[in-house]
Amino acid sequence: MMLSDEPYRWAEGVANRRDYIEDQIRAGSPVVGVGYEDGILLLTLSRSQQKLFEVYDRIGLGAVGHSADIEKLRQAAIDMAHSIGFNYSEEDVTLRQIVYFGLGPAIKAGFDDVVRSPFLARVMLAELDGEASAHTFYIVDYDGAFFRYEDFCTLGGIPDADHLMEQRLDVDDVTKLSLTDALSKALQAWAIGRWVGKLEEIPSEDSDLDALAVDVDLNDILKRELQDLGVEAVVLQRSLSGKPKYRLLTDDELAPVLDSFKK
Amino acid sequence: MSDGGDFVDLLRRDGYRFPGEGVVASGSRGDLPFHPTEGTTILAIRYRDGVLIAGDRRATAGNMVLYDRADKVINLDAYSVMAISGSPAVAFEIARVLEHSFQYYRRRQLQEMSLNAKLRRLSLLIKDNIPMAIQGIGAVIPIFATFDRKDACGKIYFYDALGAQFETTDFTTTGSGSPGIRGVMYYQDRWGDHKFADMARDEAVGMAMRLLDTAGEYDSATGRYERVADIFPTVKIITASGLEDIETETLRALHAEYVDGGPGA
Repeated sequence: MMLSDEPYRWAEGVANRRDYIEDQIRAGSPVVGVGYEDGILLLTLSRSQQKLFEVYDRIGLGAVGHSADIEKLRQAAIDMAHSIGFNYSEEDVTLRQIVYFGLGPAIKAGFDDVVRSPFLARVMLAELDGEASAHTFYIVDYDGAFFRYEDFCTLGGIPDADHLMEQRLDVDDVTKLSLTDALSKALQAWAIGRWVGKLEEIPSEDSDLDALAVDVDLNDILKRELQDLGVEAVVLQRSLSGKPKYRLLTDDELAPVLDSFKK
Repeated sequence: MSDGGDFVDLLRRDGYRFPGEGVVASGSRGDLPFHPTEGTTILAIRYRDGVLIAGDRRATAGNMVLYDRADKVINLDAYSVMAISGSPAVAFEIARVLEHSFQYYRRRQLQEMSLNAKLRRLSLLIKDNIPMAIQGIGAVIPIFATFDRKDACGKIYFYDALGAQFETTDFTTTGSGSPGIRGVMYYQDRWGDHKFADMARDEAVGMAMRLLDTAGEYDSATGRYERVADIFPTVKIITASGLEDIETETLRALHAEYVDGGPGA
Protein backbone atom coordinates (compact mmCIF):
# COMPACT_ATOMS: atom_id res chain seq x y z
CA MET A 1 0.00 0.00 0.00
CA MET A 2 1.24 3.45 -0.83
CA LEU A 3 -0.93 5.33 1.59
CA SER A 4 1.68 7.98 2.31
CA ASP A 5 1.50 9.09 -1.31
CA GLU A 6 -2.19 9.67 -1.07
CA PRO A 7 -3.04 12.14 1.68
CA TYR A 8 -6.74 11.95 1.03
CA ARG A 9 -6.88 8.21 1.33
CA TRP A 10 -4.73 8.44 4.42
CA ALA A 11 -7.13 10.86 6.13
CA GLU A 12 -10.04 8.71 5.10
CA GLY A 13 -8.26 5.68 6.47
CA VAL A 14 -7.84 7.36 9.85
CA ALA A 15 -11.51 8.37 9.93
CA ASN A 16 -12.55 4.84 9.06
CA ARG A 17 -10.35 3.56 11.81
CA ARG A 18 -12.06 5.84 14.34
CA ASP A 19 -15.48 4.65 13.21
CA TYR A 20 -14.36 1.06 13.38
CA ILE A 21 -12.96 1.38 16.91
CA GLU A 22 -15.91 3.33 18.26
CA ASP A 23 -18.26 0.82 16.76
CA GLN A 24 -16.38 -2.03 18.40
CA ILE A 25 -16.25 -0.62 21.92
CA ARG A 26 -19.24 1.73 22.22
CA ALA A 27 -21.38 -0.80 24.06
CA GLY A 28 -18.66 -1.58 26.60
CA SER A 29 -19.44 -1.18 30.27
CA PRO A 30 -18.36 2.33 31.40
CA VAL A 31 -15.88 2.98 34.19
CA VAL A 32 -16.35 5.66 36.84
CA GLY A 33 -13.67 7.14 39.10
CA VAL A 34 -14.43 9.47 41.97
CA GLY A 35 -12.50 10.78 44.95
CA TYR A 36 -13.98 10.31 48.42
CA GLU A 37 -12.97 11.15 51.98
CA ASP A 38 -10.44 8.31 52.26
CA GLY A 39 -9.11 8.09 48.71
CA ILE A 40 -10.42 7.14 45.30
CA LEU A 41 -13.23 4.83 44.23
CA LEU A 42 -13.23 3.06 40.84
CA LEU A 43 -16.41 1.32 39.77
CA THR A 44 -17.82 -0.62 36.85
CA LEU A 45 -20.30 -3.42 36.20
CA SER A 46 -19.53 -6.60 34.37
CA ARG A 47 -20.78 -10.10 33.82
CA SER A 48 -17.87 -11.77 35.52
CA GLN A 49 -14.53 -10.79 34.04
CA GLN A 50 -12.27 -8.45 35.97
CA LYS A 51 -12.18 -4.93 34.55
CA LEU A 52 -10.39 -2.96 37.28
CA PHE A 53 -6.74 -3.55 38.04
CA GLU A 54 -3.94 -2.61 40.41
CA VAL A 55 -0.94 -1.08 38.64
CA TYR A 56 1.20 0.05 41.56
CA ASP A 57 0.96 1.03 45.23
CA ARG A 58 -1.25 4.07 44.60
CA ILE A 59 -2.27 3.57 40.97
CA GLY A 60 -5.30 1.74 39.59
CA LEU A 61 -6.60 1.14 36.07
CA GLY A 62 -9.96 0.53 34.45
CA ALA A 63 -10.79 0.24 30.78
CA VAL A 64 -13.47 -0.18 28.17
CA GLY A 65 -12.75 -2.29 25.14
CA HIS A 66 -11.36 -5.59 23.96
CA SER A 67 -10.14 -7.61 26.92
CA ALA A 68 -6.96 -8.85 25.20
CA ASP A 69 -5.97 -5.30 24.22
CA ILE A 70 -6.69 -4.05 27.73
CA GLU A 71 -4.54 -6.88 29.03
CA LYS A 72 -1.56 -5.80 26.88
CA LEU A 73 -1.86 -2.20 28.06
CA ARG A 74 -2.31 -3.23 31.68
CA GLN A 75 0.84 -5.37 31.55
CA ALA A 76 2.81 -2.56 29.90
CA ALA A 77 1.75 -0.15 32.66
CA ILE A 78 2.66 -2.64 35.40
CA ASP A 79 6.05 -3.41 33.81
CA MET A 80 6.90 0.25 33.54
CA ALA A 81 5.79 1.07 37.08
CA HIS A 82 7.78 -1.78 38.66
CA SER A 83 10.87 -1.03 36.60
CA ILE A 84 10.86 2.57 37.77
CA GLY A 85 9.94 1.60 41.33
CA PHE A 86 12.88 -0.77 41.60
CA ASN A 87 15.55 1.16 39.69
CA TYR A 88 14.64 4.53 41.21
CA SER A 89 12.16 4.43 44.09
CA GLU A 90 8.48 3.94 44.82
CA GLU A 91 8.04 7.72 44.95
CA ASP A 92 9.30 8.06 41.40
CA VAL A 93 6.45 5.97 40.05
CA THR A 94 3.98 8.61 38.92
CA LEU A 95 0.92 8.34 36.77
CA ARG A 96 2.21 11.10 34.54
CA GLN A 97 5.24 9.03 33.56
CA ILE A 98 3.13 5.96 32.83
CA VAL A 99 0.74 7.96 30.65
CA TYR A 100 3.14 10.34 28.90
CA PHE A 101 5.96 7.92 28.19
CA GLY A 102 4.19 4.58 28.33
CA LEU A 103 0.56 4.13 27.40
CA GLY A 104 0.01 7.30 25.34
CA PRO A 105 2.76 6.68 22.77
CA ALA A 106 2.09 2.92 22.70
CA ILE A 107 -1.59 3.36 21.87
CA LYS A 108 -0.82 6.12 19.38
CA ALA A 109 1.69 3.87 17.58
CA GLY A 110 -0.94 1.14 17.38
CA PHE A 111 -3.52 3.57 16.06
CA ASP A 112 -1.17 4.93 13.37
CA ASP A 113 -0.10 1.54 12.11
CA VAL A 114 -2.89 1.20 9.53
CA VAL A 115 -1.93 -2.28 8.39
CA ARG A 116 -2.44 -3.71 11.88
CA SER A 117 -5.35 -3.83 14.24
CA PRO A 118 -5.38 -0.87 16.65
CA PHE A 119 -5.86 -1.17 20.39
CA LEU A 120 -9.60 -1.46 20.88
CA ALA A 121 -9.55 0.19 24.25
CA ARG A 122 -10.07 3.38 26.18
CA VAL A 123 -8.19 3.44 29.46
CA MET A 124 -8.74 5.30 32.72
CA LEU A 125 -5.98 5.51 35.31
CA ALA A 126 -6.26 6.86 38.83
CA GLU A 127 -3.53 8.00 41.20
CA LEU A 128 -3.99 8.58 44.91
CA ASP A 129 -2.07 11.44 46.55
CA GLY A 130 0.10 12.31 43.58
CA GLU A 131 2.35 15.33 43.45
CA ALA A 132 -0.19 17.81 42.10
CA SER A 133 -3.46 16.49 43.48
CA ALA A 134 -4.93 13.98 45.91
CA HIS A 135 -7.20 12.47 43.25
CA THR A 136 -5.61 12.47 39.81
CA PHE A 137 -7.10 10.73 36.80
CA TYR A 138 -6.01 10.29 33.21
CA ILE A 139 -7.96 9.01 30.27
CA VAL A 140 -5.89 7.58 27.44
CA ASP A 141 -8.16 7.41 24.42
CA TYR A 142 -8.06 4.78 21.66
CA ASP A 143 -5.95 7.12 19.48
CA GLY A 144 -3.34 7.69 22.19
CA ALA A 145 -4.54 11.18 23.15
CA PHE A 146 -4.56 11.63 26.92
CA PHE A 147 -6.38 14.00 29.24
CA ARG A 148 -5.91 14.78 32.89
CA TYR A 149 -8.74 15.16 35.40
CA GLU A 150 -8.98 15.91 39.07
CA ASP A 151 -11.46 14.70 41.70
CA PHE A 152 -13.57 12.59 39.34
CA CYS A 153 -13.42 11.04 35.91
CA THR A 154 -15.73 9.12 33.63
CA LEU A 155 -15.05 6.73 30.79
CA GLY A 156 -17.75 5.46 28.47
CA GLY A 157 -17.51 3.23 25.43
CA ILE A 158 -17.39 6.33 23.24
CA PRO A 159 -16.22 9.86 24.08
CA ASP A 160 -19.81 11.20 23.77
CA ALA A 161 -20.75 9.31 26.91
CA ASP A 162 -18.01 10.83 29.06
CA HIS A 163 -19.44 14.29 29.60
CA LEU A 164 -22.99 13.10 30.33
CA MET A 165 -21.60 10.77 32.96
CA GLU A 166 -19.50 13.60 34.33
CA GLN A 167 -22.61 15.76 34.79
CA ARG A 168 -24.20 13.09 37.00
CA LEU A 169 -21.05 12.90 39.08
CA ASP A 170 -20.61 16.59 39.74
CA VAL A 171 -19.50 16.83 43.37
CA ASP A 172 -18.43 20.08 45.04
CA ASP A 173 -15.94 18.66 47.47
CA VAL A 174 -14.98 15.03 47.08
CA THR A 175 -12.91 15.12 50.27
CA LYS A 176 -16.19 15.23 52.20
CA LEU A 177 -17.86 12.44 50.22
CA SER A 178 -18.47 9.20 52.16
CA LEU A 179 -17.78 5.88 50.46
CA THR A 180 -21.50 5.09 50.39
CA ASP A 181 -22.35 8.38 48.70
CA ALA A 182 -19.46 7.94 46.27
CA LEU A 183 -20.75 4.48 45.34
CA SER A 184 -24.24 5.74 44.78
CA LYS A 185 -23.06 8.68 42.63
CA ALA A 186 -20.76 6.41 40.64
CA LEU A 187 -23.59 3.96 39.92
CA GLN A 188 -25.79 6.74 38.56
CA ALA A 189 -22.97 8.01 36.34
CA TRP A 190 -22.37 4.47 35.14
CA ALA A 191 -26.06 4.09 34.27
CA ILE A 192 -26.19 7.16 32.03
CA GLY A 193 -22.98 6.03 30.32
CA ARG A 194 -24.58 2.66 29.75
CA TRP A 195 -27.63 4.32 28.28
CA VAL A 196 -25.53 6.28 25.75
CA GLY A 197 -23.63 3.14 24.80
CA LYS A 198 -26.86 1.35 23.97
CA LEU A 199 -28.41 4.14 21.87
CA GLU A 200 -29.14 3.07 18.31
CA GLU A 201 -27.86 6.37 16.99
CA ILE A 202 -25.89 9.10 18.76
CA PRO A 203 -27.10 12.66 17.93
CA SER A 204 -24.26 14.60 16.33
CA GLU A 205 -24.82 17.65 18.58
CA ASP A 206 -23.99 17.40 22.29
CA SER A 207 -27.01 19.52 23.16
CA ASP A 208 -29.34 17.08 21.41
CA LEU A 209 -27.84 14.22 23.37
CA ASP A 210 -28.24 16.18 26.61
CA ALA A 211 -31.88 16.86 25.84
CA LEU A 212 -32.47 13.20 25.13
CA ALA A 213 -30.80 12.23 28.41
CA VAL A 214 -32.98 14.38 30.64
CA ASP A 215 -35.83 11.91 30.89
CA VAL A 216 -33.76 8.79 31.39
CA ASP A 217 -34.70 6.81 34.50
CA LEU A 218 -31.34 5.82 35.91
CA ASN A 219 -32.75 3.72 38.73
CA ASP A 220 -34.67 1.69 36.22
CA ILE A 221 -31.53 1.10 34.12
CA LEU A 222 -29.60 0.00 37.21
CA LYS A 223 -32.38 -2.24 38.36
CA ARG A 224 -32.44 -4.02 35.00
CA GLU A 225 -28.66 -4.21 34.57
CA LEU A 226 -28.05 -5.49 38.08
CA GLN A 227 -30.06 -8.58 37.23
CA ASP A 228 -27.35 -9.71 34.81
CA LEU A 229 -24.26 -7.81 35.87
CA GLY A 230 -22.23 -7.61 39.04
CA VAL A 231 -20.66 -4.49 40.51
CA GLU A 232 -16.88 -4.39 40.60
CA ALA A 233 -15.58 -1.63 42.84
CA VAL A 234 -12.08 -0.98 44.16
CA VAL A 235 -10.60 1.75 46.29
CA LEU A 236 -7.21 3.34 46.56
CA GLN A 237 -7.59 3.76 50.28
CA ARG A 238 -5.33 6.24 52.06
CA SER A 239 -5.88 4.70 55.51
CA LEU A 240 -4.89 1.19 54.40
CA SER A 241 -1.71 0.21 56.27
CA GLY A 242 1.36 -0.74 54.25
CA LYS A 243 2.53 0.59 50.92
CA PRO A 244 -0.09 -0.85 48.52
CA LYS A 245 -3.31 1.15 48.89
CA TYR A 246 -5.41 -0.75 46.35
CA ARG A 247 -8.25 -2.93 47.66
CA LEU A 248 -11.33 -4.63 46.22
CA LEU A 249 -14.53 -3.67 48.03
CA THR A 250 -16.36 -6.62 49.57
CA ASP A 251 -19.96 -7.64 48.92
CA ASP A 252 -20.82 -6.51 52.44
CA GLU A 253 -19.57 -3.03 51.68
CA LEU A 254 -21.53 -2.85 48.42
CA ALA A 255 -24.76 -4.40 49.69
CA PRO A 256 -26.34 -1.35 51.39
CA VAL A 257 -25.99 0.72 48.22
CA LEU A 258 -27.02 -2.01 45.80
CA ASP A 259 -30.05 -3.07 47.80
CA SER A 260 -31.64 0.32 47.25
CA PHE A 261 -31.54 -0.25 43.47
CA LYS A 262 -32.72 -3.82 43.57
CA LYS A 263 -36.07 -3.04 45.15
CA MET B 1 8.07 -11.63 25.60
CA SER B 2 7.86 -12.99 29.12
CA ASP B 3 4.39 -13.75 30.36
CA GLY B 4 5.32 -15.36 33.64
CA GLY B 5 5.16 -12.32 35.86
CA ASP B 6 8.84 -12.83 36.64
CA PHE B 7 10.25 -9.56 37.91
CA VAL B 8 13.87 -10.69 37.52
CA ASP B 9 13.21 -11.30 33.79
CA LEU B 10 11.87 -7.77 33.53
CA LEU B 11 14.98 -6.39 35.25
CA ARG B 12 17.32 -8.30 32.97
CA ARG B 13 15.50 -7.00 29.90
CA ASP B 14 16.22 -3.53 31.26
CA GLY B 15 19.90 -4.40 31.49
CA TYR B 16 20.09 -4.98 35.25
CA ARG B 17 22.93 -7.13 36.63
CA PHE B 18 23.17 -8.59 40.11
CA PRO B 19 26.18 -7.71 42.28
CA GLY B 20 27.74 -11.15 41.88
CA GLU B 21 27.12 -11.55 38.17
CA GLY B 22 30.31 -11.86 36.18
CA VAL B 23 32.34 -12.44 39.35
CA VAL B 24 34.58 -15.47 38.88
CA ALA B 25 34.97 -17.45 42.07
CA SER B 26 38.68 -17.49 42.80
CA GLY B 27 41.00 -16.61 45.63
CA SER B 28 39.80 -16.24 49.19
CA ARG B 29 39.03 -13.44 51.56
CA GLY B 30 42.53 -13.70 52.96
CA ASP B 31 43.70 -11.84 49.85
CA LEU B 32 41.19 -9.02 50.32
CA PRO B 33 42.61 -5.53 50.69
CA PHE B 34 39.52 -4.43 52.68
CA HIS B 35 37.06 -5.68 55.27
CA PRO B 36 33.57 -6.26 53.92
CA THR B 37 30.65 -4.91 55.97
CA GLU B 38 28.92 -7.69 57.89
CA GLY B 39 28.11 -9.04 61.35
CA THR B 40 24.76 -9.60 62.96
CA THR B 41 22.51 -11.64 65.12
CA ILE B 42 19.02 -12.34 63.84
CA LEU B 43 16.51 -14.74 65.28
CA ALA B 44 12.98 -15.94 64.71
CA ILE B 45 10.66 -17.82 67.04
CA ARG B 46 7.18 -19.25 66.71
CA TYR B 47 5.16 -17.90 69.60
CA ARG B 48 1.50 -18.24 70.53
CA ASP B 49 -0.02 -15.91 67.90
CA GLY B 50 2.40 -16.40 64.99
CA VAL B 51 6.05 -15.65 64.42
CA LEU B 52 8.39 -13.11 65.92
CA ILE B 53 11.50 -12.02 64.10
CA ALA B 54 14.21 -9.78 65.53
CA GLY B 55 17.66 -8.46 64.77
CA ASP B 56 20.31 -6.26 66.33
CA ARG B 57 21.17 -2.95 64.66
CA ARG B 58 24.97 -3.06 64.28
CA ALA B 59 26.89 -3.27 61.02
CA THR B 60 30.64 -3.84 61.23
CA ALA B 61 33.63 -3.90 58.89
CA GLY B 62 36.43 -5.86 60.48
CA ASN B 63 36.91 -4.41 63.97
CA MET B 64 35.11 -1.22 63.12
CA VAL B 65 31.53 -0.45 64.02
CA LEU B 66 30.21 1.07 60.83
CA TYR B 67 26.61 1.75 61.69
CA ASP B 68 24.34 1.40 64.70
CA ARG B 69 20.95 1.81 63.05
CA ALA B 70 20.94 -0.96 60.46
CA ASP B 71 17.54 -2.55 59.93
CA LYS B 72 18.16 -6.19 59.24
CA VAL B 73 14.55 -7.29 59.27
CA ILE B 74 13.00 -6.19 56.00
CA ASN B 75 9.31 -6.26 55.09
CA LEU B 76 8.61 -8.12 51.85
CA ASP B 77 4.82 -7.93 51.83
CA ALA B 78 1.92 -7.69 54.26
CA TYR B 79 2.64 -11.20 55.64
CA SER B 80 6.32 -11.88 55.16
CA VAL B 81 9.72 -10.58 56.16
CA MET B 82 13.32 -11.45 55.51
CA ALA B 83 15.97 -11.02 58.18
CA ILE B 84 19.50 -10.79 56.90
CA SER B 85 22.89 -11.74 58.18
CA GLY B 86 26.05 -11.51 56.14
CA SER B 87 26.83 -8.90 53.54
CA PRO B 88 24.24 -6.11 53.69
CA ALA B 89 25.04 -4.89 50.17
CA VAL B 90 23.86 -8.13 48.62
CA ALA B 91 21.18 -8.83 51.21
CA PHE B 92 19.39 -5.50 50.79
CA GLU B 93 19.50 -5.97 47.05
CA ILE B 94 17.97 -9.44 47.37
CA ALA B 95 15.27 -8.06 49.68
CA ARG B 96 14.45 -5.28 47.22
CA VAL B 97 14.25 -7.69 44.31
CA LEU B 98 12.01 -10.02 46.32
CA GLU B 99 9.70 -7.28 47.53
CA HIS B 100 9.18 -6.13 43.96
CA SER B 101 8.92 -9.70 42.69
CA PHE B 102 6.05 -10.55 45.04
CA GLN B 103 4.12 -7.38 44.25
CA TYR B 104 4.84 -7.58 40.53
CA TYR B 105 3.67 -11.17 40.33
CA ARG B 106 0.52 -10.44 42.32
CA ARG B 107 -0.41 -7.46 40.16
CA ARG B 108 0.57 -8.89 36.80
CA GLN B 109 -0.67 -12.45 37.22
CA LEU B 110 -3.75 -11.36 39.21
CA GLN B 111 -3.04 -13.84 41.99
CA GLU B 112 -0.90 -13.97 45.12
CA MET B 113 2.43 -15.77 44.74
CA SER B 114 2.23 -19.06 46.66
CA LEU B 115 4.40 -19.56 49.72
CA ASN B 116 6.37 -22.29 47.94
CA ALA B 117 7.08 -19.96 45.03
CA LYS B 118 8.21 -17.19 47.38
CA LEU B 119 10.65 -19.58 49.06
CA ARG B 120 11.89 -20.71 45.66
CA ARG B 121 12.47 -17.12 44.51
CA LEU B 122 14.59 -16.40 47.57
CA SER B 123 16.52 -19.62 47.10
CA LEU B 124 17.26 -18.76 43.46
CA LEU B 125 18.56 -15.33 44.37
CA ILE B 126 20.91 -16.84 46.95
CA LYS B 127 22.12 -19.37 44.37
CA ASP B 128 22.81 -16.53 41.93
CA ASN B 129 25.03 -15.09 44.60
CA ILE B 130 27.21 -18.19 45.04
CA PRO B 131 30.29 -16.66 43.31
CA MET B 132 30.23 -13.75 45.77
CA ALA B 133 29.75 -16.12 48.69
CA ILE B 134 32.75 -18.22 47.61
CA GLN B 135 34.85 -15.07 47.24
CA GLY B 136 34.12 -14.52 50.91
CA ILE B 137 32.77 -11.02 50.48
CA GLY B 138 29.10 -11.34 49.72
CA ALA B 139 27.59 -14.32 51.50
CA VAL B 140 23.99 -13.82 52.63
CA ILE B 141 22.31 -16.13 55.12
CA PRO B 142 18.73 -14.99 55.55
CA ILE B 143 15.77 -16.09 57.64
CA PHE B 144 12.40 -15.91 55.92
CA ALA B 145 9.34 -15.68 58.16
CA THR B 146 5.72 -15.54 57.17
CA PHE B 147 2.22 -16.25 58.36
CA ASP B 148 0.71 -18.95 56.16
CA ARG B 149 -2.95 -18.02 55.86
CA LYS B 150 -3.78 -21.38 54.30
CA ASP B 151 -2.48 -23.36 57.29
CA ALA B 152 -3.28 -20.51 59.71
CA CYS B 153 0.14 -20.62 61.39
CA GLY B 154 3.45 -18.80 61.40
CA LYS B 155 6.32 -20.41 59.47
CA ILE B 156 10.07 -19.90 59.65
CA TYR B 157 12.64 -20.89 57.04
CA PHE B 158 16.38 -20.47 57.08
CA TYR B 159 18.97 -20.89 54.36
CA ASP B 160 22.62 -21.67 53.97
CA ALA B 161 24.95 -19.54 51.85
CA LEU B 162 24.36 -21.76 48.80
CA GLY B 163 20.58 -21.41 48.84
CA ALA B 164 19.50 -24.63 50.55
CA GLN B 165 16.25 -24.05 52.42
CA PHE B 166 15.17 -25.50 55.76
CA GLU B 167 11.98 -25.08 57.70
CA THR B 168 12.20 -24.88 61.45
CA THR B 169 9.27 -25.77 63.67
CA ASP B 170 10.20 -23.74 66.74
CA PHE B 171 13.06 -21.25 66.43
CA THR B 172 16.23 -20.37 64.57
CA THR B 173 19.08 -17.88 64.74
CA THR B 174 21.88 -16.97 62.33
CA GLY B 175 24.72 -14.47 62.12
CA SER B 176 28.01 -14.06 63.93
CA GLY B 177 26.32 -13.79 67.33
CA SER B 178 24.11 -16.83 66.87
CA PRO B 179 26.48 -19.47 68.32
CA GLY B 180 26.27 -17.61 71.63
CA ILE B 181 22.50 -18.01 71.91
CA ARG B 182 21.62 -21.16 70.00
CA GLY B 183 22.04 -23.28 73.10
CA VAL B 184 20.20 -20.74 75.23
CA MET B 185 17.22 -20.93 72.87
CA TYR B 186 17.20 -24.72 73.01
CA TYR B 187 17.43 -24.66 76.81
CA GLN B 188 14.65 -22.08 77.13
CA ASP B 189 12.35 -23.95 74.79
CA ARG B 190 12.97 -27.30 76.46
CA TRP B 191 13.23 -26.44 80.16
CA GLY B 192 12.25 -22.81 80.54
CA ASP B 193 9.08 -21.67 82.33
CA HIS B 194 7.31 -21.39 78.99
CA LYS B 195 8.01 -22.93 75.64
CA PHE B 196 8.26 -20.33 72.87
CA ALA B 197 5.06 -21.71 71.36
CA ASP B 198 3.15 -20.91 74.56
CA MET B 199 4.46 -17.37 75.04
CA ALA B 200 2.20 -14.35 74.66
CA ARG B 201 3.46 -11.45 72.58
CA ASP B 202 5.08 -9.43 75.37
CA GLU B 203 6.95 -12.36 76.81
CA ALA B 204 8.17 -13.38 73.34
CA VAL B 205 9.38 -9.84 72.62
CA GLY B 206 11.09 -9.63 76.02
CA MET B 207 12.73 -13.00 75.42
CA ALA B 208 13.96 -11.92 71.96
CA MET B 209 15.60 -8.83 73.47
CA ARG B 210 17.25 -10.94 76.21
CA LEU B 211 18.62 -13.26 73.55
CA LEU B 212 20.00 -10.42 71.42
CA ASP B 213 21.58 -8.88 74.50
CA THR B 214 23.19 -12.22 75.29
CA ALA B 215 24.49 -12.49 71.73
CA GLY B 216 25.97 -9.00 72.06
CA GLU B 217 27.74 -10.03 75.26
CA TYR B 218 29.79 -12.63 73.36
CA ASP B 219 29.97 -11.21 69.83
CA SER B 220 31.54 -7.82 69.16
CA ALA B 221 29.77 -7.64 65.80
CA THR B 222 26.33 -7.72 67.45
CA GLY B 223 24.96 -4.49 68.87
CA ARG B 224 23.06 -4.21 72.17
CA TYR B 225 20.64 -1.53 73.32
CA GLU B 226 22.49 1.69 72.49
CA ARG B 227 22.01 3.92 75.55
CA VAL B 228 23.53 7.12 74.22
CA ALA B 229 21.47 7.26 71.04
CA ASP B 230 18.54 5.26 72.49
CA ILE B 231 18.49 2.58 69.77
CA PHE B 232 16.58 -0.66 70.35
CA PRO B 233 16.78 -3.85 68.29
CA THR B 234 14.29 -4.37 65.47
CA VAL B 235 11.41 -6.63 66.50
CA LYS B 236 8.46 -7.55 64.27
CA ILE B 237 5.60 -9.99 64.63
CA ILE B 238 3.48 -11.63 61.96
CA THR B 239 0.05 -12.94 62.92
CA ALA B 240 -3.22 -13.74 61.17
CA SER B 241 -3.85 -10.00 60.94
CA GLY B 242 -0.54 -9.34 59.20
CA LEU B 243 2.87 -7.88 59.81
CA GLU B 244 3.40 -5.48 62.71
CA ASP B 245 6.45 -3.53 63.87
CA ILE B 246 6.84 -3.44 67.63
CA GLU B 247 6.98 0.26 68.46
CA THR B 248 9.90 1.84 70.32
CA GLU B 249 7.80 2.66 73.39
CA THR B 250 6.71 -0.97 73.73
CA LEU B 251 10.30 -2.11 73.28
CA ARG B 252 11.43 0.37 75.93
CA ALA B 253 8.94 -0.93 78.48
CA LEU B 254 9.70 -4.59 77.75
CA HIS B 255 13.45 -3.94 77.73
CA ALA B 256 13.14 -2.42 81.19
CA GLU B 257 11.09 -5.38 82.39
CA TYR B 258 12.91 -8.30 80.77
CA VAL B 259 16.49 -7.17 80.09
CA ASP B 260 17.24 -4.57 82.79
CA GLY B 261 14.88 -6.15 85.29
CA GLY B 262 13.86 -9.76 85.28
CA PRO B 263 14.77 -12.49 87.76
CA GLY B 264 18.03 -11.84 89.54
CA ALA B 265 18.29 -8.18 88.43
